[in-house]
Amino acid sequence: MKTIATFHVNGQEYDTVIEPHMVLADILRDNLNLTGTKRACSGGNCGACTVLVNGRPTCSCITLGMLARDKDIETVEGLASTKNGLSTLQTAFVQNNAAQCGFCTSGMLMTAEALLRENPQPTRQEVKIAISGNICRCTGYIKIVDAIMEAVSTLQTINNHNEKA
Amino acid sequence: MQILRQSEHTTKPQDDELLYVGKSLQKPDVAQKVTGQAIYTDDIRISGLIEGRLLHCPHPFAKVKAIDTSKAKSLPGVTAILTYQDAPQNKFSRSTMAEALPSFAYNGERQDQKILTDICRYRGDCVAAVAAENIYVAEQAIDLIDVEYDVLEPVFDPFQALEPNAPQIHSDAKNNIAFEMDHPFNVGDTKQAFADADVIVDFSGVNSRQKHLHMETDSAIAQFDENGRVTIISPSQGPHLGKKHLSERVFSDLEDGDIRWLSPTIGGGFGARLALGLEPIAVLLARKTGKPVRVTSTREEDFNGYASRTDQHQTIRLAALNDGTITGIEQYIISDAGAYLSHSATTSLVNMQKSLGLFRCDNVYGHVKVVYTNTPVTAGFRGYGNAEGAFVLQQAIDMLAEKLAIDPIEIRSRNIRKEGEQSFFLPCVLEHTRLQECMDEGSKAFGWNKKFKGWNRDKSQGRFQRGVGMSILNHASGAGGFLLEHSSAVMKIQADGSANLVISPCEMGQGILGAVTQIAAELSGIPYEKIRVVTGDTDITLFDIGSHASRSIFVVGNAVANCAKKINDIIRECAITHFEKRQVKVKKEDLIVQGGEVFPKTNPETTISVREIAHDEIYNFTEIGSQISASGAYLSTSHHPNHQAGFAEVEVDTETGHVTVLKYLAAHDIGRTINPLLVESQMQGGAVQGLGFALKEDYVLDQTTGEVLNDTLLTYTAPTVMDVPELKNLMIEDPYNHGPFGAKGVGEAGVVNPAAAIANAIYDAIGVRIHSLPASPEKVLAMLQSGGREMPNGASHVSGQRL
Ligand code: FES
Ligand code: FES
Repeated sequence: MKTIATFHVNGQEYDTVIEPHMVLADILRDNLNLTGTKRACSGGNCGACTVLVNGRPTCSCITLGMLARDKDIETVEGLASTKNGLSTLQTAFVQNNAAQCGFCTSGMLMTAEALLRENPQPTRQEVKIAISGNICRCTGYIKIVDAIMEAVSTLQTINNHNEKA
Repeated sequence: MQILRQSEHTTKPQDDELLYVGKSLQKPDVAQKVTGQAIYTDDIRISGLIEGRLLHCPHPFAKVKAIDTSKAKSLPGVTAILTYQDAPQNKFSRSTMAEALPSFAYNGERQDQKILTDICRYRGDCVAAVAAENIYVAEQAIDLIDVEYDVLEPVFDPFQALEPNAPQIHSDAKNNIAFEMDHPFNVGDTKQAFADADVIVDFSGVNSRQKHLHMETDSAIAQFDENGRVTIISPSQGPHLGKKHLSERVFSDLEDGDIRWLSPTIGGGFGARLALGLEPIAVLLARKTGKPVRVTSTREEDFNGYASRTDQHQTIRLAALNDGTITGIEQYIISDAGAYLSHSATTSLVNMQKSLGLFRCDNVYGHVKVVYTNTPVTAGFRGYGNAEGAFVLQQAIDMLAEKLAIDPIEIRSRNIRKEGEQSFFLPCVLEHTRLQECMDEGSKAFGWNKKFKGWNRDKSQGRFQRGVGMSILNHASGAGGFLLEHSSAVMKIQADGSANLVISPCEMGQGILGAVTQIAAELSGIPYEKIRVVTGDTDITLFDIGSHASRSIFVVGNAVANCAKKINDIIRECAITHFEKRQVKVKKEDLIVQGGEVFPKTNPETTISVREIAHDEIYNFTEIGSQISASGAYLSTSHHPNHQAGFAEVEVDTETGHVTVLKYLAAHDIGRTINPLLVESQMQGGAVQGLGFALKEDYVLDQTTGEVLNDTLLTYTAPTVMDVPELKNLMIEDPYNHGPFGAKGVGEAGVVNPAAAIANAIYDAIGVRIHSLPASPEKVLAMLQSGGREMPNGASHVSGQRL
């Protein structure tokens, strides 16, 4: 049974035809052509497909599209902007070489993004706990944690600066 | 150019004269990976693309009696259904190495499988394939195919498979022996050496079938054009060899040039992508339908099918004199290939080559037997046999040290090969080694002398026990003298002074694109950020056997170096007339190209830009009259070993058997670090994979059904961030004159030592030896409770099979 559904992704509105069995990851990738979101297990076990739904990190591979209609969805494509370039978190990933093959990276970034919004000054241990559901086979995780910690301190400096200003 | 960070980890000061080499620069492809713009095979959108899926046999051993596709055919949206009757009858191996091996090793590459088969030799063997308008229809159609099987009696255990009455899995492999061979470098007389020895040790062990677990599951696209030429798109580590193999073995009506192979961004490889994946079936479906077809696989299919490390059951015996000198080594390997051979024979051979070649010894004997079982197919995995061997050998050498009351580092120091001696690849001399320095510097940084309390230290009672252990390795920087170890690179200069660099190895995340670009920038004089590096299209790149064997920085790096030097030469040549026009008289050999500018050594203020020169060459009818371009090649004729020492500290909970790694340090004999950040990334990633291999990753087969019991990322426990201990890396730098700027390989070594060092640390902590990987809590506990009783030879617990 096909339905037209509305999705709000990265601040844009999309109308697209979906079927009830379709999961959010497939809709983003196949219907909206937002292929930055990856699927590595399609079973909710690896975090590669993590997107933010109403600000919460969510496995898009096990989220039915029907349930994500009319909610605020954010994907990796929404992190950088034409105006400001890469986000602080993305820059930190680049600087620390936190992406090797890159297949886990979108999910890592989205998970970290959610953490930093909720807790702008996490400890290293809190960062580890936050990304403990995201599997990376390449990096050994250290550079990813380093990157997130670096983003934390950069954001902190920017904040302090803004406050003074 | 921004240097991302200064390296704190090298033992030598950085060379100030070099602009790019030795610096932590940003690799060219990282920005697109953090923005989601990198395109992987599954992200490619082609109009008219249809989706293919496979039907797998549900039995471990069965013959198809009848197959009925009529229901599936009538499903709307189905384009084609192929069964084993429609596929070529040619046999091939998923390993493409047959095209690159010398004749003596060639038998190790049995061409033993078909694209679709009626004799199914493991759960997961492919019987039929469907192409349909979308994945949902394709999957429904798969469910609608009715197959009637004659179920045969399977065998899952390699030792049982060798018994006389065991079911025969391949009609042409007697006793299920797929491959058997003496080590090609056997020398001396080990019997005599063992008879004359002061001490003998004997140790058996087996590794688990660690899964590669590249996060991108397998997928391939194929499309024929109007001339019958096919384009394949897939995450291949070696597309040139792939197309040769495909045309030679599978599709006899295609020629090498009839295939164009594109490798887009690759979501991890670790050796799995060295072999053919879904490409043959994609080609078959594309040919049948006349449409572009993409075949994909799920994580569960990946777990149940191709591939994993080969479980190698090994016994290693050492004979030595009282002073610790090793006088004899024997190694016996029985490897379980699974249902088809793929890389299992060559990984077993490489295990012998590395294990038997690490120490100087006059009496060496190795023997390998590779056996078929009705289990999923195993293959080459990062380290290629070396991690499997180190786990056994490095425990054996520690046992020897204990018997002789010699420190583990000391006994290794007394026996490792020195420069000028034979290398592990016997035809070649060991030209360069800093393994001793790896041990020395590593032990200092780790605090070995304080932490290792001697063999007889009092293992006091208490729930938590700590221990330390170490391990060393030698590994290849490309298999020169054995494989087709050559590579070629092309560089051309655009009218704006920027360059294109075309290289052949695939980028799987290891950072090779960045490292070779740094070499190109240093030697050509074109700035790093102005070089665009291209790979992944066999119509553009030159022949090369792909990314593996830690070869790329060495072999491809040298090819790039040769190419960049030629470019530098041409630029200087062309610059002369430009200087003359400005009334500056110069000689070519006095010119320097740097940062995109050319200037005389003696007069660096007078510069002419490469941009101006390159522009004129293209647009202003100069004498040379062509775009500045060059190609460079390199042929490697030796293995150019790199080395590493690894040190681990563990804590064992003697009540639960749980092992925690507290600290791990690796010191690598790298020659020269081209990019410290990238090297460190490789070493960390390798170490954590090694940690998973040591303690967590198991592949559990049900002994009665052959079913893989942990076929999801939830049940197969790969290391998460919570498993990562304090990790340290040292790069022991001392340039090696054959490497580009002195560099040697590094990609695989990191995964080799952890299991061996951790096993030795567990022994130091609780006095029991680990015979079977992973050293999971139940095994450690079982060994503790049996009082550390050593298991008899060859009777180690097989991972997931006997425990
Ligand atoms: S793809 Fe969604 S959790 Fe793995
Ligand atoms: S970078 Fe490859 S899986 Fe994380």
